[in-house]
Amino acid sequence: MPGGRAAKPVIIGRVYLLATLMSRMFEPPVQRLIDELTRLPGIGRKSAQRLAFHLLNVEEDEARSLARAIVDMREQTSYCSRCYNVTSGSECSICLDPRRDPDVVCVVERAQDIAVVERTREFRGRYHVLGGALSPIDGIGPAQLRIEELRRRTLDESLTELIIATNPTIEGDTTAMYLARRFKPLGVTVTRPASGLPVGGDMDYADEITLGRALTGRREL
Amino acid sequence: MRLSWLELNDFRSYVRLLWTPHPDVNVLVGRNASGKTNLLEAVGYLASLRSFRKVPDGVLVRTGADRAVVRGELAGEGTSTLIEVETPAAGRRRAQVNRERLGRISDLLGVVRSITFLPDDLDLVKRGPAYRRDMLDAAAVQIWPAAHRDQQEYERSLRQRNSLLKQMGNRADRVSLQVWDDRLAHAGGLLMARRAAVVRAVEERTGAFYRELSGDSTRVVIDYRSTWGAEAAGDPAGWQAALGDALAAARQADLDRRLSTVGPHRDDVVLLLGGRDSRIRASQGEQRSLALALRLATHRAVEESVGAAPLLLLDDVFSELDAHRSAALSRILPDAQTFVTTARSEDVPLRGRRWELSGGELR
Ligand SMILES: Nc1ncnc2c1ncn2[C@@H]1O[C@H](COP(=O)(O)OP(=O)(O)O)[C@@H](O)[C@H]1O
Ligand SMILES: [Mg+2]
Ligand SMILES: [Zn+2]
Repeated sequence: MPGGRAAKPVIIGRVYLLATLMSRMFEPPVQRLIDELTRLPGIGRKSAQRLAFHLLNVEEDEARSLARAIVDMREQTSYCSRCYNVTSGSECSICLDPRRDPDVVCVVERAQDIAVVERTREFRGRYHVLGGALSPIDGIGPAQLRIEELRRRTLDESLTELIIATNPTIEGDTTAMYLARRFKPLGVTVTRPASGLPVGGDMDYADEITLGRALTGRREL
Repeated sequence: MRLSWLELNDFRSYVRLLWTPHPDVNVLVGRNASGKTNLLEAVGYLASLRSFRKVPDGVLVRTGADRAVVRGELAGEGTSTLIEVETPAAGRRRAQVNRERLGRISDLLGVVRSITFLPDDLDLVKRGPAYRRDMLDAAAVQIWPAAHRDQQEYERSLRQRNSLLKQMGNRADRVSLQVWDDRLAHAGGLLMARRAAVVRAVEERTGAFYRELSGDSTRVVIDYRSTWGAEAAGDPAGWQAALGDALAAARQADLDRRLSTVGPHRDDVVLLLGGRDSRIRASQGEQRSLALALRLATHRAVEESVGAAPLLLLDDVFSELDAHRSAALSRILPDAQTFVTTARSEDVPLRGRRWELSGGELR
């Protein structure tokens, strides 16, 4: 029994738990899963242990299905070759949708921000995922974002408007200012959703109504 | 604004304390290390969620305990605010205001206000300009809670700009640098506007309080010396433009030195006593009186602009003053709920409720 001196096994479901308070180490396969889970965002050691022991107790099929879902997602998805949204083909469903306005592009920091804008039902154009925001502290400059890709799209697709929906943080706002400076000379209109986004917040936290109103009332940068 | 009651659990040296302070003057008397400053610190912590000793939160948890819990109720004009703070030895502090979870510290700004004078406040006069810039910025936040956001924006933009300069030097992308400049100029304009307003609000009063304390007719001037020509402008837009111009003019120097060499973060604030720089030309006693006068002036300025007197926390101030200055201080203390600590009861010529502190208990 690794790490357990005088450990008394206690039976919980199908799990043998080491009841010794001193023992931190779990059986190696359990410990390995805990370590992997701990690396996920928002998951601390305690939650990781809870999840691992939960998975030890569920039907084997259920655990297998979760593992398969993770592997499948990674194997069957990639980034859209046009907008860098997540897709299972070479272009995402939004880029392929003929009803979407091909002249207007909404620029977001991350692929998951697309869902937030989509929920407002106010926007009928396409997207471009930058991959973050300018932040020299984190070593992120223009070259680390998909800005050159956006420039090529702007010219190739003859875009008429870029709506910069980066997060309303200092970095997101500054990125919007940067894009305005870089793209206005290309003859494209650059706008920013009007305020109404919580300052310093994440797109995630903006409720649909607020963001919807902000998108209809966007202003030119 | 008055603290109606205070409850401490495992805060600093206190295992548990329930206290109903007097609504006016509270004099806390106790031997060295009896926990006087700790108690004052708890009051300040409840008001600002930060220790005035500028230590990390974990230090506030009693040695051996896993969390500190501070609760208290503040009564204003017809309002009452219950504040509860749970501080773990490691990890994030959680706070509730009227039983509602408080998202960010800054949401508490403007709810409770306190002004503190500590023996270390001599640093305001004696040490470098950063102390005086921080003093102006802290006073601004007490008067206008929104100033906190401007300050954070300035600091963050400055850090970003400095990172860019440091990493890239002359290879820095010019468009990036320009947008960080714009950002910095915008936040700097607002920051400067607040500083100028604070100087206007406290300068006269600092002089008046100083003369009361010293018993002479010395003139006090708060001389704000800008590295970027702030004197020439007079409103946020003007300061923004001036800072933008100064950043452009300093660009090559900044690229070479990989550092932002101009801006409100480099400004000096010189306190002149009778026309002379108090930092180098004043005695320790004069410096202490000046620091105290600055705090009292800030208290008055905040009270006047928000319409309610902040709590006043005075740590060990009387022991350092001579008889004349002690008497003067007790004359000019504001009408506010006040907490004064002292090791010797007779040093404090104040009427008010006296509390004996020993063995972690108040009597
Ligand atoms: N986190 C802590 N846990 C336990 N004791 C503490 C803690 N922090 C400070 N103390 C103790 O508190 C005492 C100092 O209290 P303080 O309020 O500064 O004294 P004074 O009455 O002189 O102002 C010291 O004995 C110190 O060891
Ligand atoms: Mg003390
Ligand atoms: Zn796409």
